[in-house]
Amino acid sequence: MTTDTEEQLVASLASVARDGALRAGRGLSGLMGQEITIHVPAVRFGTKADACDAVGGEEALVMGAYLTIAGDITGHVMLFFPVSRALACADLMCGQAPGTTTEADDLATSAIAELGNIVGSAFVNALADRMNLVLHPSPPSVVNDMAIALVESVYAEILTQGGDVVMIDTVFEDNGGNVAGLLIVAPDAMALPRLRELAA
Amino acid sequence: MTSPPSEQRRISVGIGQIAVSRDSHEVLVAYGLGSCIGVSAHDPESGVCGLVHVLLPASDGKVPQSSEPARFADTGVDVLLREMAAVGATSRRIVVKLAGGAAVLGPGNAEKFKIGERNAEAVKERLKRHGLRPAREDLGGTRGRTLELHVGTGKTFVRMAASPASEL
Repeated sequence: MTTDTEEQLVASLASVARDGALRAGRGLSGLMGQEITIHVPAVRFGTKADACDAVGGEEALVMGAYLTIAGDITGHVMLFFPVSRALACADLMCGQAPGTTTEADDLATSAIAELGNIVGSAFVNALADRMNLVLHPSPPSVVNDMAIALVESVYAEILTQGGDVVMIDTVFEDNGGNVAGLLIVAPDAMALPRLRELAA
Repeated sequence: MTSPPSEQRRISVGIGQIAVSRDSHEVLVAYGLGSCIGVSAHDPESGVCGLVHVLLPASDGKVPQSSEPARFADTGVDVLLREMAAVGATSRRIVVKLAGGAAVLGPGNAEKFKIGERNAEAVKERLKRHGLRPAREDLGGTRGRTLELHVGTGKTFVRMAASPASEL
């Protein structure tokens, strides 16, 4: 693998992430009734704990959704929110007064699954369109755990196939510049040669 | 568990990392074990403690990267016992406790991703080769865990998200 190829892949995935962020931002803004800005700070290789910093560190509790990608390539999509943010999102989505949802009940879980669906699908569709691939996101599984436990599990799954781990981290910020969420897209190792080829 | 005294130092043992200590002020911690396994090891006579944070079941002959010396169960257990012996531990006295090996990516994916289960089996198998078996274990399930080993007492604690720690 040459440095040029690596740089091309990073540039290509960053472009996909920006496109996905734009689409997801539009979907989220409509859903939440307020402007949601999504930044794509970096496309990183082989990172783990760094991904958790944005949501509060190693033991930060997060609530969110996990999806897998199937089709021409396979991979993983994780959408994390600090728990208080996730519950606030659930209130917004359900048209409830802020602070109504205080725990991850059935309604909140359903709302977070829908969030995962909207944001995850936006990124998967951006990837499919840009790379001319046929991709299918799975239905979202709602997760509620320590961020690092979730990230390391995906990291391990990818490493069992051998090769590199590429994680695209995308941080969501609200109008006040506060971190509202984190999206991680991680193609499986066997998908990387195809992505490198398409990016070249 | 009561909060550790302020003079205690928490040493974070990240993914694929190992820590060995006989400093009674240190607490070795593996944060957020998902499918990974935390192996806590304590030799009560020498006071030597060790903690390893295993990511994958088998090295299959691959040499672990220097940045993650304990990435694999087989080589990770070997390195742990070797480093503990180097500072005075005796293998047959070592008390081993395990935590982790969960399927945290949602119940629907538990059947698909069995890496946690495979990790647990691989760690036990490697320990067996060294004549060791876990004295206690908290493995499997669908929740992440944090494992900590207090070097001063040799006690091991496990906690899940937003739950109090309990001694293993």
